[in-house]
Amino acid sequence: MSGPRVPRLVRENGLVLFFGTIFVLALVGQAVAGFAEFVEQQIADGAHPVSFLAYLTSSDFGVDVAENWQSEYLQFALYVVATVYFVQRGSPESKQLDEVGGESDERQRVGADADDNSPVSARADGPRRWWYSNSLGLAMLALFLGSWTAQAVAGRAAYNAAQLRAVQDPVGLAEYLASPDFWSRTLQNWQSEFLAIMSMALLSVFLRQRGSPESKPVGAARDATGLEG
Amino acid sequence: MLRNRLALAAAALCGVATGCAVSAAPAVTTTAEEFGAALARHDGVVACAMLTDRARGDTETFGRSCATQLASLPDPGPVQGVEVWGDTAQVRFAADTVFFLRFPDGWRVGAAGCTAGAEAPYDCEVKG
Repeated sequence: MSGPRVPRLVRENGLVLFFGTIFVLALVGQAVAGFAEFVEQQIADGAHPVSFLAYLTSSDFGVDVAENWQSEYLQFALYVVATVYFVQRGSPESKQLDEVGGESDERQRVGADADDNSPVSARADGPRRWWYSNSLGLAMLALFLGSWTAQAVAGRAAYNAAQLRAVQDPVGLAEYLASPDFWSRTLQNWQSEFLAIMSMALLSVFLRQRGSPESKPVGAARDATGLEG
Repeated sequence: MLRNRLALAAAALCGVATGCAVSAAPAVTTTAEEFGAALARHDGVVACAMLTDRARGDTETFGRSCATQLASLPDPGPVQGVEVWGDTAQVRFAADTVFFLRFPDGWRVGAAGCTAGAEAPYDCEVKG
């Protein structure tokens, strides 16, 4: 018995489509819940409640979104780069214990060791190859810095609006960057991301998820490192 | 069409990044100047009409009259600085600091007759 045929384009891009869909649903949910909370606060402050559209373009919504984005991109930037230099015995998240570092050109299939299917940038010499060789980590780093900057700018605007509602002076950007509000928002997200990565690296030594490339094969030995199921 | 999209994007960015401080400042300044002028001529009725409902209610406790209280506030002098963040604004007069909130019909005074305290909220004669 066979189910309905899934179009090839959907099947071959299932991971991106699945996470893209639940991302949008979660963002809409955050917007609706955040709007309700914001309106409650405005009424408590004696202000006029904003419209939903005004809330979507507000600094309050902006900072709530950006503070989570920055930590996720930091998580992946660190994950991509740290796994070059750090290994974890028994973890499928780690490479083999003797492969620490950027590895040989032969293993990485770059320059003279590139094969016919290698991207042009992998065959190139000099800066082009360097950029391409580090493009994933750099992209994550750029997305982290961009969303962290957005958090700082939107966070200051939201903080200053709250300051004025509480009849207190607004603050400059430098003062905001040294404020408990900025670092509380930042670090509460960082700590949870770091914990999640550490948990994944450690639990995947002992536990299995059959069929997942994030797990070792179910029957793999506990000290087998760098295997994906 | 492209211009409309750019305007929408600019409005969104303005809201997220600055709370539209630049675009809203002239409207706040105009309202602040009208409020300052009312205080300067001790016109408590006009000044009272510019308060938020909550601020007006705050002045009318224990049988006090809002107009009488507002008329007793000193001349704030000219506007010296305006900061707008989202739907809130702070206007510094030469002799007063006034806080505004944005409503559909314009800006209203949420707190007036305010003097700064060190690292603390302003101490205000009128505050809702």
